[in-house]
Amino acid sequence: MHELSVCQALLSQVAEIARAQGAAAVEQITIELGPLCGTEPRLLWNAFSAMRCGVAANAELRIKHCSVSIQCLQCEARTETRPNRLVCGKCGGWRTRVIAGDELRLLKVEIRMPPRLSQIAVAAVADSSEKECNYV
Amino acid sequence: MCKTCGCALPRAIDQNSAMQPVGPFRAINVVQDILAANDRTAAHNRTHFDEHGVLAINVMSSPGAGKTALLEATILALKSRYRIAVIEGDLETENDANRIRACGVPAIQITTGTACHLDASLVHQALHDMSLDGIDLLFIENVGNLVCPASFDLGQHLNVTLLSVTEGDDKPAKYPVIFRASDLVVLSKTDLLAVLEDFDPTRAATCLRNLGLETTMIHTAARRVPSIGAWLDWLTAALEHRRAPRSVVFSGATAHQDA
Repeated sequence: MHELSVCQALLSQVAEIARAQGAAAVEQITIELGPLCGTEPRLLWNAFSAMRCGVAANAELRIKHCSVSIQCLQCEARTETRPNRLVCGKCGGWRTRVIAGDELRLLKVEIRMPPRLSQIAVAAVADSSEKECNYV
Repeated sequence: MCKTCGCALPRAIDQNSAMQPVGPFRAINVVQDILAANDRTAAHNRTHFDEHGVLAINVMSSPGAGKTALLEATILALKSRYRIAVIEGDLETENDANRIRACGVPAIQITTGTACHLDASLVHQALHDMSLDGIDLLFIENVGNLVCPASFDLGQHLNVTLLSVTEGDDKPAKYPVIFRASDLVVLSKTDLLAVLEDFDPTRAATCLRNLGLETTMIHTAARRVPSIGAWLDWLTAALEHRRAPRSVVFSGATAHQDA
């Protein structure tokens, strides 16, 4: 259930970026999750659907899944493996380094900028359907 | 047909949003840790600990593995040599902090409500209610949970995870994230090993080794006749290492995950 905390951190980060860019709306957010980051993609996605708000109220969340890769500190072989088997796939050595699989990162924020003044002049209706944001 | 009545136009045209002018699209590439804000607060806490010469240890385990009992026995054994303080994390009640205070050391209770873990800001808040002056060793007893606490750096220097022999010996294989983040794994309640046939410490050690960990597994029993010598030796070594001039104690593994 800490996915709610992770989601809250993500939404704050995205809101900050949107503010800095002067965005009107966030359309898509791309993140990267590894199996060793301790966050379950499906639960994070559910949390996001429930919590998205403010400038990101209609944003889509894209989750890029990473697999676990390790490098052996003895034979230097790089192997792909499971989260609970971090021993070298080649020589069986247990002195290894995780080189991928613990990512919990924001990669990309796709935003829509405010319309130009000339466009606003012809606009008839303003959309005021944004959900109120309690998280940022 | 129907250019006049509009029935062939896309449905979206009926919605207010489609009438709005649309500004230009922009893609912002960022590579940022999602928990960066927590990590910043954790770094702030760590600076605070360093300035006061405090060794901070984050103690994690599943509920009921014996964290508080181990801390009680540790305080009784070490309080004449080191000044100890404890931050307790629980969903509800002041019970654990009261147990620690009964041992004669200061304790702050954080009640998280429904939150399943401590984070750096909760610890930071607790530090406002606690003086670190003269403290050598601060234990942060995390919420009993083998999943969520692993993801949040608190500013600790070391992570210790308890595995009690009343649990399965394959816990490290089931919860790799938290065990991988541990600087030390403490096998607790080992006085019960004699009556528990299905817990094999060798199998637990193999599961840990499969996580690529050099982490040692220390045996402890904190109740009845306490047997915590190896744990006290490890703690004393960490404290002395900390006291060495200008030394930097090996940072907690959670703080290193993104390095």
